[in-house]
Amino acid sequence: MDIGIIAVNALTLACIYGMLAIGISITWSSLGLVNLAYGFMFAFAGYGAWQINAWCSAAHLALPPVATLAIGVLCGALAGLLVCALAFIPIHDKPNFTMRGMVATIAIDLIGTQGLLWYFGPRAKSLPEIFGYWQIEYGGIVLTANTAGAIGSSILLLGAVLLWMKSSRRGLEIRAMMMNPHAASLVGIGVRRTGLYVMALTGGLAGLAAVLLSQTYYVSPFAGFTPLIKGVSIALCGGLGSVAGAVIAAVILGINEAVTAATIGGQYVLITQFALIIAIIVVRPRGIAGILDRAREA
Amino acid sequence: MENEQASARWRNPLKGWQPAREVDEVPTDPWRNPVHAPGRYTVKLFAIGRLRFFHKFRAHGKRLWHRTRYWPTRRRVLDVRGGYNPKTLAAEKTIRDKRPLYWLTAFACLLALPLAVPDSAANTLYTAAAIFGIYGAINLCWMLIIGTAGVSSLATYSVVGAAAYGSAYCSIHFGMPWWALPFIGVPIGLVFGLIIALPATRLDGFYYALLTLGLNELCRTYVLQSKVFGSATGGLYGAQSYIPDSLSADGQLLLGYYASLVLLVMALALYRTINGRRLGRILRMAPEQKEAFAEACGIDYRRARIQVFLLSSMALGFIGGFYAAHFRGASPSLFSIDTVALGLAMLMIGGMQRAEGAVLGTFIVVGLHHGLVGLGPLRLILIGVIMLAVVLFLRGGLFGIKPQFRAWRDKKKSENRSTRSVKGGEMLPEEATETFDKDEIYRRRFDKQQRDFLKTLVTAQVIEEHRRQPLGQHSEALERLLMYFRRHPQQDKYAIEVLEPFKAYRIVALSGHRGVAPHDVEEKIYASTDDAYHGVFMRRVQDLLES
Repeated sequence: MDIGIIAVNALTLACIYGMLAIGISITWSSLGLVNLAYGFMFAFAGYGAWQINAWCSAAHLALPPVATLAIGVLCGALAGLLVCALAFIPIHDKPNFTMRGMVATIAIDLIGTQGLLWYFGPRAKSLPEIFGYWQIEYGGIVLTANTAGAIGSSILLLGAVLLWMKSSRRGLEIRAMMMNPHAASLVGIGVRRTGLYVMALTGGLAGLAAVLLSQTYYVSPFAGFTPLIKGVSIALCGGLGSVAGAVIAAVILGINEAVTAATIGGQYVLITQFALIIAIIVVRPRGIAGILDRAREA
Repeated sequence: MENEQASARWRNPLKGWQPAREVDEVPTDPWRNPVHAPGRYTVKLFAIGRLRFFHKFRAHGKRLWHRTRYWPTRRRVLDVRGGYNPKTLAAEKTIRDKRPLYWLTAFACLLALPLAVPDSAANTLYTAAAIFGIYGAINLCWMLIIGTAGVSSLATYSVVGAAAYGSAYCSIHFGMPWWALPFIGVPIGLVFGLIIALPATRLDGFYYALLTLGLNELCRTYVLQSKVFGSATGGLYGAQSYIPDSLSADGQLLLGYYASLVLLVMALALYRTINGRRLGRILRMAPEQKEAFAEACGIDYRRARIQVFLLSSMALGFIGGFYAAHFRGASPSLFSIDTVALGLAMLMIGGMQRAEGAVLGTFIVVGLHHGLVGLGPLRLILIGVIMLAVVLFLRGGLFGIKPQFRAWRDKKKSENRSTRSVKGGEMLPEEATETFDKDEIYRRRFDKQQRDFLKTLVTAQVIEEHRRQPLGQHSEALERLLMYFRRHPQQDKYAIEVLEPFKAYRIVALSGHRGVAPHDVEEKIYASTDDAYHGVFMRRVQDLLES
């Protein structure tokens, strides 16, 4: 068994799922919303990128590959804003918001994915190659264009987002909401406005993940469901609300996935993954780095 | 008008019979009818409290307190209360809770469904109705888990699916008869419930919901990839069914329909048994985020939750076995996210924590999903839109509309009351609902109107007339004022204290209680009784104008 392949695969998966997990984690901790419409945001970004590509090629315009990436991110952000406008802004101050918010996102997911299925038909679409066909070989480890591109772009975007959250005024607002939403609103941070930033941000991350994953899989209405489950379980495992925890969990689960696929077989990935998650969660009920004990429940 | 007012004079009718100090004539305002005084009855009365209308049934006096109870409990069939009409004293009975009647009506409609089904749509309708029965039963068990036990599990359908797959497998490979399938499902459901319940003891709320969603997906991928469970054929089929092949097509549909209806009734009975008795009452004491209080009261809510969870899981296993016997197998669609989403839609649309909510939600969603097959993906979009609308606008689903509307109406009422600027002298609503004698509300209102009118009678002429002659015959306006003042209750009523007869008088106020001395109101000493009388009058006029 080649350690190199396992490591590269683990890293790629960790990057892509980590982006989703961090999105879910930030949404939950700052808005108190369990966003299960991720599948829709994911598929919407993929289809948006595909549709604009199709229009451009119909008009004989050659889009640079990076543009596809950017379009995916923008479409994801747009879907995020839509989810925020429907599921967060009208009910965030109403009783029983956590349950209602979750069900609202499920409803949006149902409407969105079925709408995409209805509009685009059941045939899966494929996006153009973004990173070309080249590969790097270093010490027996082969990095193809896809994996290198995926790792590079996701780390780039994630780094930019984390830097922005750490250094900008808006990032400070989001972090304040994560610590104590009530107090944040008392000192003049707009809950709805911050909700829009957060959802656009996490939507953008989901859009990037969608475009990156569509290099190996296809764009289809239900393509976002497995990434959602993976993202949710990583966020859960890492501790909802913790970026560092999500990164650690993404690495652990990425390694687990790569090792399981290489040793026992691909069909057992979910089983070992959930065994691992349950083991971690039974030991630490709030995840690896669960910083929020009871704070977010209010 | 000016002239007429100036020229109006009041003549003393007792002139000639009285001592010389009686006045003959005083200038006065022309008489005005207090009934038509301007500004009366303009303040709108707002209804206070709420009338709830119940139909009153006539009752025979001997049967008034009769109760019909059913064996083996002491429960009553209907909550009928007997009583006497407070006005006519007629014996009458009231049905306080009509829900059993509504349930019975709904069941009668479901039983009589075959009479109304057209032949052309029979296949679709009976299939949909059978699915309604099965899914309704599943949702009732789920409602026990989410609503009663408060465990937000999303893996309910995977328990059903596991039991369905397990019992179908047993039927295919070991030749189990159809009637054994539900009973094979029970232990499978129990084992699955135990596995799922394990993390529930440690995790809370949404961590658990997300984990169970993942477990559901795990089951789906496992079943899709496993050769044993029919990855090639898209499901595990070939189990024995309770529907005999010898029956005609219509007969098969009808049998399936009535069997799933029986399943629904069994699930309702289970819901009633668990939710309405000891376990349900214990858990109602320990809602989410109030566990510490319940624990302090000596309630072992964790144990009760796990018990409800396991009992529901066993019931779900039973339903899974029935599912396998009904559809002759199991399909991986039981584990799909759409099934979970639709199931959640059923619970949310009807309303959480109530059996009728689960049944109505199932009826609506299954009706749209399986009844309108021709619409394709549009029907799922429609269900999603309904679900979104219910979640955004309704707090407790369709069955929560009534309380939510009432709360909204009460809010509007109190807003209207508080924005009113003119007061009608009435009581505040809180006080009014507490007052036993409701006449008091209207007496105050009348008093306010009377005072408003009397204020217009206070003029310089009237005061001058009283100063000249405090006792004896007066003009009509002054007489009205004096009669109103005399009716003042004893408490704080002004009186004249004699300090020294014919020399010094002082105004005091009565305490209104026997044995408690009056208190002083002013220091001023009046030299004669007439001065003191006029002093009291002036104070009263001042109080009137200030009120």
